[in-house]
Amino acid sequence: MKRLMFVLTIIVVFTMALTACAKATEAPAATAAATEAPVATATAAATEAPAASGGAAADVVAGDTVLPRNETLYFNGQQWGAVVCWNPYSSNCNNALGLAQQDNARVPMFETPYIYNMMDGKVYPLLADGPFTWDAGMTKLTFKLKAAAKWSDGSAVTADDVAYTWASHVKYNTQFGAANKAYIKDIVAVDPATVEVQAVLGDNGKALNPLLVQAYLSSNYVIQKAWTEALEKRTNGDATALMADVADDVVYSGPYGKFFADDTKVVFIRNEAYWGQDASMWGKLPAPKYLAHIIYKDNAAGTTALQAGEVDVSQQFNSNVQDLWLKDGLPISTYLPEAPYGIGASLPTAYYNRSSLGLDNVAVRKAIAMAVDYDTIIANATTNQSATFTQVPRSLMNPTPGEQAMYDHDAVKSLQWAGNDIEGANKLLDEAGIKDTNGDGIRDIDGKNLKYVATCPNGWSDWQAAIEIVAAAGKEIGIEITTNYPEWSVYQTVVTNWPLPTEGYDIFMMWSDGAGPTQPWGRIRHIMSSEFAETTNNWNGNYSGYKNADADKLINAIPNMTDAAELKAAYTELVKIYLTDVPSFTLMYRPQAFHTVNESVWTNFPHEGDGTNPAVPPLDLTDGYSIAGLYNLTLVK
Amino acid sequence: MKHTLQQIFHSSKFLTGFVIFMSILLVTIFYPLFVPNPPLEIIAQGSFFPPGTYVSNYDAVFSSTAYTLNLPDASAKRIAAKLGNKERSDIKDYLIKVGVPADQIDTTNTTQLLDQWTKNYDPKANIPGMIFSQQRYYQRLDKSLAGLLSSEGLIIAAKNVDTGALEQVGMINQNDYVNIKEVASVRTLPLGTDNFGRDVLTELVKATSVSLEIGLIAGTIATLIGLILGLLAGYIGGAVDDVIMFITNLFTVIPSFVLLILISYSVGQEHRGAVMVATVIGFTSWVWTTRSVRSQVISLRNRDHVNLSKLSGHSLVYIITHDILPYIASYVVMAFILQISSAILAEASLSILGLGPKTSEVPTLGLMMNWAMIYQAQILGKWWAYFPVLLVIALITFSMNLMNTGMDQVFNPALRD
Repeated sequence: MKRLMFVLTIIVVFTMALTACAKATEAPAATAAATEAPVATATAAATEAPAASGGAAADVVAGDTVLPRNETLYFNGQQWGAVVCWNPYSSNCNNALGLAQQDNARVPMFETPYIYNMMDGKVYPLLADGPFTWDAGMTKLTFKLKAAAKWSDGSAVTADDVAYTWASHVKYNTQFGAANKAYIKDIVAVDPATVEVQAVLGDNGKALNPLLVQAYLSSNYVIQKAWTEALEKRTNGDATALMADVADDVVYSGPYGKFFADDTKVVFIRNEAYWGQDASMWGKLPAPKYLAHIIYKDNAAGTTALQAGEVDVSQQFNSNVQDLWLKDGLPISTYLPEAPYGIGASLPTAYYNRSSLGLDNVAVRKAIAMAVDYDTIIANATTNQSATFTQVPRSLMNPTPGEQAMYDHDAVKSLQWAGNDIEGANKLLDEAGIKDTNGDGIRDIDGKNLKYVATCPNGWSDWQAAIEIVAAAGKEIGIEITTNYPEWSVYQTVVTNWPLPTEGYDIFMMWSDGAGPTQPWGRIRHIMSSEFAETTNNWNGNYSGYKNADADKLINAIPNMTDAAELKAAYTELVKIYLTDVPSFTLMYRPQAFHTVNESVWTNFPHEGDGTNPAVPPLDLTDGYSIAGLYNLTLVK
Repeated sequence: MKHTLQQIFHSSKFLTGFVIFMSILLVTIFYPLFVPNPPLEIIAQGSFFPPGTYVSNYDAVFSSTAYTLNLPDASAKRIAAKLGNKERSDIKDYLIKVGVPADQIDTTNTTQLLDQWTKNYDPKANIPGMIFSQQRYYQRLDKSLAGLLSSEGLIIAAKNVDTGALEQVGMINQNDYVNIKEVASVRTLPLGTDNFGRDVLTELVKATSVSLEIGLIAGTIATLIGLILGLLAGYIGGAVDDVIMFITNLFTVIPSFVLLILISYSVGQEHRGAVMVATVIGFTSWVWTTRSVRSQVISLRNRDHVNLSKLSGHSLVYIITHDILPYIASYVVMAFILQISSAILAEASLSILGLGPKTSEVPTLGLMMNWAMIYQAQILGKWWAYFPVLLVIALITFSMNLMNTGMDQVFNPALRD
């Protein structure tokens, strides 16, 4: 008996060890938001579906309905937790596939007058008919609506709807109204098909900020007036109730509507009467009948599903993505064949807390930034899914050709650093008189050692790995940097409020704007403008409270500049100021959305040189102009 | 004492466990003497380099002595590495798709096959029915086949400092070899690198010693608390017993792991060093030691020698240390061993939940697993990043349980052979 128990123990131990070796279909718990840092997925891990891990559950819809695989396009990496609502006035619907009013607005269900294409930086008409025009005095802009544009209930989309949407945003002070009120005076219907957007005027009698007025048209949905009125009626005009309404009955103009949603999946179904099949828009319906997103427990479950061909379009960070085709031989590909695999759009940035000892000194700030080994960050933390700083030298622009052309590269060359320059950093510190006077190997100021804590949210793996490498750089230049990863719920309240704490947040990471119709101006404003400095509940940027009057002047002037040379000079000057003062520094380039596709069922996804004109951007096939990709998909034969 | 030790070491189970445990311990002590590299040093640019010996390409080219070996199968091997059976049949598929008759394709005839490939492959051609990832596959294949049949060497050129023009500085022929011992820079990574680009073996050895330390600290704390409370409750009895048992029962009904999670979470990561985590584990896992020590003491309390001691006027402390403790010492040692092994497991479980010690200071077994998981090593088949860690955890706990069972056989009268 004893012997038997002994043998059994051995067997159990080794079985356990071996099971762990097998391919995991179910990923371990609680690494949920163990993602990297997606722009605005603050609510990511809010609710977690119980054990809905990829596997067999994928094909079954509750109610015994099975989605036909060859009519369904599956996504991952967007929806975490159950959908809360379908209400375009709300900003808390947790409805990732349906609602996102942003620079590259998500338009499968609701539509914007224009859609932005990050590949050429232009907007293309969706509900609108032709380009918009400013009047001669730059006080208002006008655009027409397409005659074919219809709501899902069959009625026409009119200028009244556009005007009423704006009026409601303002009346109920939604996030979208509040953000634009300072720049848009009013939106009125001239006639049923003509919309006039009146800008708030500046001192010179012209629009205060024409860029933001234009951007409203490609980032905010048009919502039906009749439905809004019904909503107001049932909520008695109470702003909180209106924004909290689930809006199951919402009327939309886009090609897809709600089919099914629970805490395991979200499914959209094609509106067969979608107006866009009119020759004035797409001329046909999008290829997939269903858009579906299984709610995966975490990134690992999502990757497993992608490998198994249960996901067609993956918007999540898959580490070492090239292994999926090089080693596993799967029919998976990314936009570019080689590293960085996608197109960088945003600049995850490390901010300095300038109230920490020594960080008010530009020499210390620049020395740390120079010493960091960015090549290792890019190779290890992002597994090469970012351009390097040798390929795209640092500035305030993202790596897209459009933005890169907006500043004079030669003029700032002497200010740019590629990293891992230990010698240069040490020299800079020595020259600034910051030396190790007490011989403990750490530089000090007035006898106090330079000791910093570098931080980012816990579980955001690529950021954490990057922060580790920043800390390693400190050792090389005699500055002690340790790392710390608070939970996101704590982190976000700390870094978005002023003043920053005196401890624990000396160097901290936040994201920057990606690609959009106001870029790069919007990104620069968010990183450098003093209008966000030292403010509370600040989700815009400039988290280290940087102030520079020259930069402010340029940031305020740029929206009204029309001359290309003048613009370029202004941007170059801003890059100069930024690289001289180093209030923060970029650690890597990050795509607007990760775009990895599996061609088991669908093919003809956007890829470099796919011949589309204008080029379809590698986003989720739902964001901005990337929705055009849904019309190009074909089934694998 | 000597006799007891002899008895213990006669138990084959104890001996096996002891040997495994000591080998692990010795490795953690001696490995750093031979490989003094810092365990958290990031050496690789890129993640998850596979195990193997890495030879500096640059140094190999400029190695002082070049040897010429005329190996008959060298070129066949070179071709086979790039053009295996799968590649050959893929080429055949492609050729058939572009209209080459199947009977004209001989996949065993390398020269003919490559000739047909060069003639017919067009990277820009849009072949109906071919998905995009396949097109990219053929593009990569085409690239890797370039110059495969060439018998000429490669020229090494360097930029002239003055003119910027390329000038030949050397030549590598196909039959040039280097002796690995003569290459200046060679590094063997027996377990490859992890997601940060650290040497897994060096990290693993350090992590094992840190985890053993955590186990030791936590085990000591838990055993001490358990022992003291158990002795007091069992020997004194009465109200003291009631109070201690009340607290113990309270802790028994709260699952200790949940308690562990809550405490670790509220401590916050900035304070979570290895010692802190060990202490937290120690303070949450003393419960069952208390209960079993208490019941043992109760059975000893009324023995004759204890009563005799009481009558002789010995103090409470004296009686406990001299008349009771020696009788339960063997039991306590066994409990201690189990506490160590469960503390090591508890650290691993905590770290997997992201509640372990801080990452940047020391590696622990749990943290290594945690990072391997975050970077999806288990999905991508990077076994070296997590399997050795698993194995070490399994071996440590296995060896300790084995020692425990061995000792049990010696000390437990019911099990004595």
